[in-house]
Amino acid sequence: MRSLVALKILLHDRATTLGSLIGVIAIVFLVGQQLAVLFGLFTFMSVLVDHSGADIWVCSKHTSNVNSAGLIPERYLDRISGLPFVVWAEPLLFGNGTFVTAQGTNESVQVVGLRMPRAAAGPWRFFKGGSEGLLDHEGITLDRLDLRMFGNPEYGKVYEINSVRVRVSGITQSIKGFAGRLVFTNMVKAREILKTPPGRCRAILVKLADGIDRAAAITQLQAMLPAAEVIAAADLSALTRIYYVKNTGMGGSFGFSTIVGALVGIIIITLTMYTAVLQRQKDFAVLRALGARKRDILIIVLLQSLMIGVAGIFIGFLLLSLFLQATLDTPLPSYMPLAAAPVLAVGTLLLCILGSVLAMRKAVSIEPASVFR
Amino acid sequence: MPQPILQLERVARDFFDGKTQRRVLYETDLALYPGELTILAGPSGSGKTTLLTIMGLVLKPSAGDVVVAGERVTHLPEHKLASVRRMRYGFVFQLAELLPALSVVENVIVAAGIQGGQVSADVRARALALLESFGLSDCLGLKPLQLSGGQKQRVAIARALINDPSILLCDEPTSALDAESSTIVLDTLKQLSRDTHRALLLVTHDPRVFPYADRLLKIDNGRIIFDSRHPLPEENL
Repeated sequence: MRSLVALKILLHDRATTLGSLIGVIAIVFLVGQQLAVLFGLFTFMSVLVDHSGADIWVCSKHTSNVNSAGLIPERYLDRISGLPFVVWAEPLLFGNGTFVTAQGTNESVQVVGLRMPRAAAGPWRFFKGGSEGLLDHEGITLDRLDLRMFGNPEYGKVYEINSVRVRVSGITQSIKGFAGRLVFTNMVKAREILKTPPGRCRAILVKLADGIDRAAAITQLQAMLPAAEVIAAADLSALTRIYYVKNTGMGGSFGFSTIVGALVGIIIITLTMYTAVLQRQKDFAVLRALGARKRDILIIVLLQSLMIGVAGIFIGFLLLSLFLQATLDTPLPSYMPLAAAPVLAVGTLLLCILGSVLAMRKAVSIEPASVFR
Repeated sequence: MPQPILQLERVARDFFDGKTQRRVLYETDLALYPGELTILAGPSGSGKTTLLTIMGLVLKPSAGDVVVAGERVTHLPEHKLASVRRMRYGFVFQLAELLPALSVVENVIVAAGIQGGQVSADVRARALALLESFGLSDCLGLKPLQLSGGQKQRVAIARALINDPSILLCDEPTSALDAESSTIVLDTLKQLSRDTHRALLLVTHDPRVFPYADRLLKIDNGRIIFDSRHPLPEENL
């Protein structure tokens, strides 16, 4: 009966219910959207690591994020490849370059050199062409989302990066980096573009055999290569993200907007639910007189808060999924990991309850005697 | 003589207005008996609402005891008082005070299910029977806003009766009604008071209601000045 009363009052007081609902939707959508952009940027930050297919990265000593890795000797490759638990090891080269568009303007890019034919850490989604295009000595890929910035270069045509001749031999699909627009090419061309000394690379990617203890393998590799940093791919990914969050002000900025989103939602919920209770003071007094305990009144307001919360979360997630759908395959970073959704839902529900605390306090303080006056 | 259902023993009530303490109800002894319609009358500010709310366990007395069916309830905690109200009391308020969000039938059963749990089919059947007996069968799904004043008050009486209370307290139930509706409501209450297990107290300042009384109480300045069951000496009137 208490749930029926809670629901009926909500349906009856449409304006205040709608107000509270908007508060919850605001929390889910505003916070969710901020998180989606943040998670989207996360995927940009560590995109090479996350899609490398490697278990371990060998980088220069004290590498704090993948993009700041220094040069290491490529001869490490043979020593690593000789270990029995290593399935494959591949060098990787990357660095900044300047793409000259057909219109003569310059656009900065991050050139990634891959050893063919494995092309580890290479492009994984193509809009046109494929990895085999990088077998072409001059072959590079550009991303579909960047084509407009590059002056709509034509597929198969020749352009310049760092004054080095390159040919567009593949168009990738929505592969974005954080340190610049990603341009993949083969190792030889990358070395030429980036003017990297012979026998040097930025990282060596290592794939372990199935069932191998990763920590033990890292220890063994680290002992073998004391001048390098041997790190699990997942750890390097996390390190890279943490580095950017800490050092770019991004963490504070996103944290602030997330808190603002949550605060706006809480304030709306608090005001509307409190107003609703004020409007229903007489009803609560009647219920108290009829035998409702303070606990029963508390449960009614709590149930209302939960009902509004659940409905608002549902609508909020619907809007959020529309946002994610609309920003899919666009330059805007947006990504919501599946695990984040329940956390956001539970968090919103808790904020919703928090927002209704004032209303609950007011509701239980209503004296049944007031109905007789 | 039957045992009283409700007794007040030396009950008094003070109010503090922020500066001074004022006594609005002086030591009062009173007993309500089953099968009796008692009318409590008095002018505005005489203390009748204070007395009613103390009898209804929604206001604690400053002194004295309230005894319900032989049990002293004055010092029970709030949640237990609420349960006593739900089990033993029925209330009819001045303006019916139906919940506008609920339908007629829901307004009646809410008094049975407000402490949680499923409302049984028996309660629902009882609600329907009560509403039918008050001529409200056609209004079951209507909202209070769609009812006339008299209909609202009859729904309120049905709500008050849903838990089959032994004490029915009515606070000026006809003051907002026209003459015809007042008569219907008063006739209904009179009939209910014939039930031998129920005591009915009706608060009013309208002398036209007095003929319905089995017992008449008059209160003024916080003191009962007349009780038709125990007439007071002429000089006290």
